[in-house]
Amino acid sequence: MKCISAAALSKEYGDTRAVDRIDLNVEPGQSFGFLGANGAGKSTTIKMLTTLIRPTSGSLNILGVDALRDPLRVRRRIGVVLQQPSYEPTLSVERSMTKYGMMWGVPGSESRSRAERLMRDFGLADLRRKRNEDLSIGQRRRVQVAREFMHDMDLLFLDEPTVGLDPAARRELLDYLKEKATSGLTIFYTTHILSEADYLCDNIAIIQKGRILASDTPAALKKRLGRQKTITLRTNADDHAVSAALAGIPDCVVQTGMGASVTIETAKPEHILMEVLGRLRKNGIKMREISAEAATLEDIFLETIRDASGSETG
Amino acid sequence: MHPVLRLVNRNLTVSLNPGFLIWQVLFPLIYIFVVGFAYTSLIPGVTYNGEHVTYPAFLATGMIGFNIMNSTLVSGLIIWNDRRHGMFEQIMSGPYTRMQYVLANICTIGTVGMISAALIVGVGYPVFQESVEFTLYTIPLIVFASVTGSVLFGSLAAIISTRLTSSEGFNVVINTTFIFLAFASTAFYPAEGAPEGLGAVFYFNPLTYIVDAIRAGIFGGITPAVFVEMAALSAIAATLFVVAAKMMTKVDF
Repeated sequence: MKCISAAALSKEYGDTRAVDRIDLNVEPGQSFGFLGANGAGKSTTIKMLTTLIRPTSGSLNILGVDALRDPLRVRRRIGVVLQQPSYEPTLSVERSMTKYGMMWGVPGSESRSRAERLMRDFGLADLRRKRNEDLSIGQRRRVQVAREFMHDMDLLFLDEPTVGLDPAARRELLDYLKEKATSGLTIFYTTHILSEADYLCDNIAIIQKGRILASDTPAALKKRLGRQKTITLRTNADDHAVSAALAGIPDCVVQTGMGASVTIETAKPEHILMEVLGRLRKNGIKMREISAEAATLEDIFLETIRDASGSETG
Repeated sequence: MHPVLRLVNRNLTVSLNPGFLIWQVLFPLIYIFVVGFAYTSLIPGVTYNGEHVTYPAFLATGMIGFNIMNSTLVSGLIIWNDRRHGMFEQIMSGPYTRMQYVLANICTIGTVGMISAALIVGVGYPVFQESVEFTLYTIPLIVFASVTGSVLFGSLAAIISTRLTSSEGFNVVINTTFIFLAFASTAFYPAEGAPEGLGAVFYFNPLTYIVDAIRAGIFGGITPAVFVEMAALSAIAATLFVVAAKMMTKVDF
């Protein structure tokens, strides 16, 4: 049984199609990353998956339950960390945690011990008496994420949960989620910070303008789509001389204007490198440093989106 | 615990903070003991049901209805605050239905209304105790008026909360509504002495019906007019509740 199974899921607002017939399959225990730029349709999708909004068309099965027919049964088994902050301004950190536990039917003593553990895990113990309205944005965000672990769940949705967190808190959260995923929790994680998805997720889908452009493991996506490599050279010549020497090489994008450094993006690195070296030698330019980098998830993401935009306009 | 009770528990924790409770007592206390006694030189007394009632006693009984309106409008703001601080969406993504959320809010508002009425009865009792004519029939009338009034104003606040999105607009509407309902009613003065047109306006205001029923319950003198007012109050409360519930089910995320 799949944790999430969505087929041809769409959401329309008037004439605008926010999500366009997407298919999603998430296996139990998987950390699934949902990548997209701002306005790509990530939040609309997560709102449909969490039953907050009803799809215009398509079918949706969450944890073996028809989510369109029995949304409450789904909501009883999922956790949701929304993109927007959610808090009770007048409650203290500790009170808001235990009250949230109560709202999920967690018995009092269990609720208190969970709150204690989570405040410690999320570095909130010193803030326990502080009211939510007196916290910084990052602290409030930590409370919001920690609070969601007050109740048991089979599937956790997180919609850009690291917004407002500093790098250390961000890494701590990702490590915490990784640990939870190891113990069997299924995670659906939306973000536009690609390094987070690369670090946490074992499966990724890229959405753009409401459509899923690619979906696979990060490694497979890199292999399949990461044709591009970036070659960086440092020479002893100036911009003008290097630009002139490397002008007109096909199948690559040469970026100069950075002093003695030149960046070359290409899908045929070996061939291009030979051509570049030959031209530099011919023009009497000596090379001081050379490096080549494989595509990152960010490169894949940008390339995928660029390809999609190109095929639309072309 | 039933989901509705869990939400009521949460709502009461959020609403009944010390600041709210102090305000709920302090505000009417100023009206009763400062305004009420200060105006005694201008208004020596009010004739109510053929009996002479001191102005502070008249005002104190009016303050019960006034405080129900004040507290329930404020606690009706739970919905507004939940929407503003993301808790409405958070709760709706949890193990609750919208109807449970609406019911929980109405129960919270009813409870706050009763607590508020009880506070003013306790605080104001020394002022109106000389004119009190409680009977076995009048106490249920007071409780019914308080609960129905709470539902009415709570639903009104819920409707306003669902319709408005900007803080400025919300504050203007809620304050204007509050001032109109408070002062165009019989809470502060009897309708009989007011200019004809204004006196008639009083009877388009549900706070008048609540205050009249509570006064009739405390000072005696339950007339057929009070029952008509109670019927009107119930009908308005039921209508506003249905409208509020409908609107809550349509709030989008």
